Amino acid sequence: MSRLTYLFKRVLMTIPVIWLGTTITWAAIYMGPIDPASRLLSQGQTRNPAAYEAAQTQLGLDQQPLEHYLDWMTSLVTFDLGQTWLLYEGSNVNSLILDFLPRTLLLGFWSVVIAILIGVPLGFYAGLHSNTMSDYFASFGGIVWRAMPNFWLAIMLLAVLSISPQVFGFQLNWETLFIEIDSISGSPDMSRIWTVDGFLEATKKVLPAAVVLGSASMGNEMRIGRTAMLEVRNEKYIDFARAKGVSDRALVWKHIFRNALIPLIPIITSEAFLLIGGSVLVETVFGINGVGWLFYQAAIQGDLPLVGTLMYIFILITVGINLAQDMLYTIIDPRVGLEGS
Amino acid sequence: MSDAMSRRERVVGLTSNLDTTLSAWFAVGVVLFLLQAGAVGTFFTGLIADFVGILPTADASGSLLASVTELFESLQRQSRSVPTLLSRDVVPNGGYWNGEEWVGTFLGLSPAVSWAIRVGLVYLYSLTWVAWAVFGYRYYRREIRVADWTPRDDMIDRFLSHKWGLFGAAIVFFFVVMAVFAPTLGPTTVEQNMRNSYAFEISYWNDQTQTVEQILVGEANLNSQSRGDLSRVMPMTYDEYGRFHPFGTMPNGRDLFTFIAAGSRISLVIGLLSVGVSALLAVSLALVAAYYKGRVDLGTVLISDGVMAMPQLLLLILLTTVLSESWVGNVYSGGFVLALIFAFTGWTYMWRSIRGPALQVSERAWIDAARSFGQRPRTIMRKHMLPYIIGYVLVYGSMTLGGAIIAISGLSFLGLGIAPPTPEWGRAINLGQDYVDTGSWHISLIPGALITLVVTGFNALGDGIRDAVDPQSDSESAAAGRGGGA
Repeated sequence: MSRLTYLFKRVLMTIPVIWLGTTITWAAIYMGPIDPASRLLSQGQTRNPAAYEAAQTQLGLDQQPLEHYLDWMTSLVTFDLGQTWLLYEGSNVNSLILDFLPRTLLLGFWSVVIAILIGVPLGFYAGLHSNTMSDYFASFGGIVWRAMPNFWLAIMLLAVLSISPQVFGFQLNWETLFIEIDSISGSPDMSRIWTVDGFLEATKKVLPAAVVLGSASMGNEMRIGRTAMLEVRNEKYIDFARAKGVSDRALVWKHIFRNALIPLIPIITSEAFLLIGGSVLVETVFGINGVGWLFYQAAIQGDLPLVGTLMYIFILITVGINLAQDMLYTIIDPRVGLEGS
Repeated sequence: MSDAMSRRERVVGLTSNLDTTLSAWFAVGVVLFLLQAGAVGTFFTGLIADFVGILPTADASGSLLASVTELFESLQRQSRSVPTLLSRDVVPNGGYWNGEEWVGTFLGLSPAVSWAIRVGLVYLYSLTWVAWAVFGYRYYRREIRVADWTPRDDMIDRFLSHKWGLFGAAIVFFFVVMAVFAPTLGPTTVEQNMRNSYAFEISYWNDQTQTVEQILVGEANLNSQSRGDLSRVMPMTYDEYGRFHPFGTMPNGRDLFTFIAAGSRISLVIGLLSVGVSALLAVSLALVAAYYKGRVDLGTVLISDGVMAMPQLLLLILLTTVLSESWVGNVYSGGFVLALIFAFTGWTYMWRSIRGPALQVSERAWIDAARSFGQRPRTIMRKHMLPYIIGYVLVYGSMTLGGAIIAISGLSFLGLGIAPPTPEWGRAINLGQDYVDTGSWHISLIPGALITLVVTGFNALGDGIRDAVDPQSDSESAAAGRGGGA
């Protein structure tokens, strides 16, 4: 099977996956016991049948289930779910999401970058110096770091930053350190993101949240990086290169480092769903108005258009990343596509 | 494992040689059980009564379900009256100081010491059970079993020399004992301290008037709140009413240790239930897909990809909200439906991990042999495939349990999942959130540190079992044990 056929097959397989996910979302809210119509009305109006029916018609809840489902699915696929039902009532779903998405993207970007920049080098260091005190310290630290609940870590980090602790003899004041920000938590200002100052300010604002959100990935990347390093280090070609007289520095960077990176790629890509899930809690604790927080609000109120569109976007992201990862695999390890999956 | 069949046959031939050591071992087990039989009965009859009582038609008086509920409730009352060794009455710690000595505590010791003795007794009792089980296994392996060696021996020996795995097992042991003995371990009870605090009265020594006075628990709680720097009851201290608080008090003045102990039980029950259901789903799908291959395999891949494409935590949030208003959402304070949701969204991760081993086993020659021998597919899957993947189920089950604990606490931190009066660790973190940077930092810190410890323990246990089951494997479990990113 050629690489192209393999790709085509994989794309074909994503269609039922996306259909299943969106259908479950629709069924959960439309068929479930939440009644958005009664939430739209005040307490007194709920008992008024005329007002209730009007609300049902307004939300399109009086349609037959199948009809509603087909309508909903067609408009979902074309990204046209119109207006929200309850949350920011009547605003356009797409523009609402576009408003909230950049903050989450910034947060997600930094959490991936920080996790890679800290986790991978630490893991490689531990693997290079295996079974020393520093290796045990780093490995154990990574394992504990990975097991911490994100929301708890977020609270603790906020507390530590807000009491301005004494670090190595001088006062660490996060708000005024390097770049001044108005408060430790809260949404980053996205309007000035394209200027240098604005970017640095927004980055500093989401940095604590990004560290927390990336904590699990950081621990994973460290563990895998350590194992990969250990494995590559014991390969025969490393011994051979050493026997040939390759310098230590070239050995580490050219022969060990590059090969140890390979098993890390799927780990990094497969953590997207952890970031999306974790963003709900982290955004709630840090008070960032991102899509995670938006999803949480929409879900508890039963706002079908908003929940549906957000879930659809999340599913597309996850499926897209999986697809990209599979393609990456066929390049790294050409046997995957050729043998047939 | 390959000679599991022949070993069983030999053991059957040996059961006639019941000797004195074996009967003594059995007797010790029975005595250990009888010491606590009342508590076991109370737990199970209560659980069944709760479950039956919540079914839709149980409200109607005279219905069959209502009478069944009543039957179990009366059984629970009866089993409560059976004396048990590790009850609060045997080693009480809820006494008061009358100016000269402690009244009502164990042997007149201080409440702190009485409580410590009770905790010590609980763990001693549990350790005795462990020793009993270990002795039984060793004796069976050395004396009863005919075979000198089986492959499973090697697994157990490998595990016993795996220090990290043993560390995990020890943490898990501490956690499980805490969950099982939750009502005994707390310095006070959930009923007295939280649910019904204005129905109970305690005596205390009033320093100003130098007399013993009475106060309702609810009012005492109001005066022992931990809110900030000035009013706080820190871990390992007494409050004004002579009550000992091993973990301090919560912002509403309730005892944090009692809350955490009760919360550990609900976390463990939900975790075990959800891991059990997801293991059942994952194993049966993996076996069927590996046996039939082709389209069946493709179908399971599609279903699991579809479930996996939705971020697990978001799906949990959506479904718990949707189902919280239905009748099934009230069983076990919402824990039952939470466990089911967790199982139906989480089985894919376990399935992914055991699919490979299951496919490998299905290629082996003995599967073909069994097929040509005319064995039914179900028998082949159960007898010739299942034993080879059960080890992996244990590995990922252990890690998923840790993830379930994180996810459940994350949901209750958001105010979803377990309904409020029932203790849950995540809610303690939420309640203490505002006081973390004040003097009352213990409320959020302690539950979070315990979650970290317990999850590390379950992950370490999983690592240990994996190295024991499959020493060559270096597969890392990236996603398991994270609870969808909570």
